[in-house]
Amino acid sequence: MSLKLEGICKSFSLPGQRVHALSNVSLSADPEEFITVIGSNGAGKSTLLDIVAGVRHPDKGRVQIAGRDVTSRPAHRRARWVGRVFQDPLQGTVPDLTVEENLALACKKGRRGLRFALGRRRRHLWADALSRLDMSLERRAQELSGHLSGGERQALTVLMATMARPEILLLDEHTAALDPANADRVLRITQDLVGEGGMTTLMVTHRMDQALCLGSRLIMLHAGEILLEVAGEAKSSLQVTDLVRLFHRRGVSDDALLLEATEKTRG
Amino acid sequence: MALLVHALEQGFLYGLMALGVYISFRVLRFPDLSVDGTFPLGASLAASLIVSGWSPFAASIAAAGAGAVACAFTGTLSSRFRVQGLLAGVLTMIMLYSLNLRIMGRPNLPLLGRPSAVSATANWLPIPSGWAVLAAAGLAAVAAKLLLDLFFRTELGLTLRAAGGNPRLVQAYGADPKNMVVLGLAVSNGLVALSGALVAQYSGFADVNMGVGTIVAGLAAVIVGEMILRPRSVAWATGAALLGSCLYRGAILVALRYGGALGFTPSDLKLLTALVVLAALVAPVVRGKLKREEA
Ligand SMILES: Nc1ncnc2c1ncn2[C@@H]1O[C@H](COP(=O)(O)OP(=O)(O)OP(=O)(O)O)[C@@H](O)[C@H]1O
Ligand SMILES: [Mg+2]
Repeated sequence: MSLKLEGICKSFSLPGQRVHALSNVSLSADPEEFITVIGSNGAGKSTLLDIVAGVRHPDKGRVQIAGRDVTSRPAHRRARWVGRVFQDPLQGTVPDLTVEENLALACKKGRRGLRFALGRRRRHLWADALSRLDMSLERRAQELSGHLSGGERQALTVLMATMARPEILLLDEHTAALDPANADRVLRITQDLVGEGGMTTLMVTHRMDQALCLGSRLIMLHAGEILLEVAGEAKSSLQVTDLVRLFHRRGVSDDALLLEATEKTRG
Repeated sequence: MALLVHALEQGFLYGLMALGVYISFRVLRFPDLSVDGTFPLGASLAASLIVSGWSPFAASIAAAGAGAVACAFTGTLSSRFRVQGLLAGVLTMIMLYSLNLRIMGRPNLPLLGRPSAVSATANWLPIPSGWAVLAAAGLAAVAAKLLLDLFFRTELGLTLRAAGGNPRLVQAYGADPKNMVVLGLAVSNGLVALSGALVAQYSGFADVNMGVGTIVAGLAAVIVGEMILRPRSVAWATGAALLGSCLYRGAILVALRYGGALGFTPSDLKLLTALVVLAALVAPVVRGKLKREEA
């Protein structure tokens, strides 16, 4: 078991009310499993990933990664097992470091010492890795990453997040801010790198077609609970229309999600 | 000529302080006001130690260490206890004011006739006497700059730079951004206190009030240097801070020498400096507005 969540509860207090972002969520994932996560805005998807990454800590419940209980560890002390790509391309890189300096930052996940970050051997490895993104980034290794386009930056972020071969990869709508062509490209890069690295992957997406065609398991979150979980055969035979029908039957009146799904099926 | 030499001497000695301000304001993006306290801390500690018989070199190093420790305090206040950065710096600064008085036992400590690290180095260098002090000051500043450049290329230094630009990312890659803030402020204020220690030895006294406006002077140096060199790498940026510091000190000496004719007095300097910084801060905004109106 590479990831195990047990009875996770997380609520936020806002003035005058408590928002239950996650209520009693349990989930376990085998090594190399690829799970897609869907759900409407505010369903708790990002909060779930935050809890795995350690950016937030659950009110109740336990988090295990690779057999270790990491519930009370802060994010930087479980970073070695967790890679993450955010929706916002600006968040995944440091804009005023060069492309190769960003890679240097990502390839080491423990204590930092006074060794030089950029050696000739490392540069060679990175040039290789960059050239496989097929975006000519290897020729721009010394450029500031702030000068890259959103798509290029997101591709770089995926490379950075997978470079240290973490146990778990968290993708939070990481292609949502990109145009369709770039989104497909970054998704393909992601699939390649995940396949090579053998990481357990949780991918949040708003695109139902993506959620259905990628991965081996699909999870639907709604109002902080796992409403639906399909895997294997059942998942591969599922259509977007089936999903919509399932939602209706469970009484989800999430207009945004349904609208999106219906549009997709029509189009 | 003598004016130019003096400007460069002071520019380099205060340049160490400008490097420190560059680290906190530009690299960490932390508005650290405690430098107004660490600069005189360095001066008063070094002065007291030298008076009590320490070697000026050991005293200067001790001063740098004290600055680093004092501002690890600012960093801890702000990152661990969530005191606002500005307030944390001001608190440290005020505490240091009292502490500096305690260290010296009085508001002003003369160092005339005492050994000085600057003049000792100057005497040791095989350089004609008119230029030796300048060479010694330049040596200190350039050595500090080069060491910093090297540090920022190490894994730790790179992480520190990243923590200023994107702390969440640093955390996601396994380093604690709070520690990076503390470390960065320690290095920054170590340099500022060292600068204070050397300036005290150079000018022959330490004074509790010599820190007033340090932050503005440091910012002025950093900004002026940036405007001229437009640095795109750390090595250029640290160079720009030193260049800015020399120009700034030059401008001050000129204002002191010839400003009287125009009706300036030395007490107007702080106002002028603040106006320079203000102009530099406002200029890009105004320029942006003008461009938008043209378009
Ligand atoms: N820091 C916070 N303070 C208060 N409430 C929060 C906070 N973070 C999240 N929430 C609330 O928790 C709930 C879940 O938020 P979350 O960001 O996990 O949703 P999501 O599924 O990722 O939505 P989206 O699709 O919009 O990204 C929402 O109701 C949100 O308003
Ligand atoms: Mg979200």
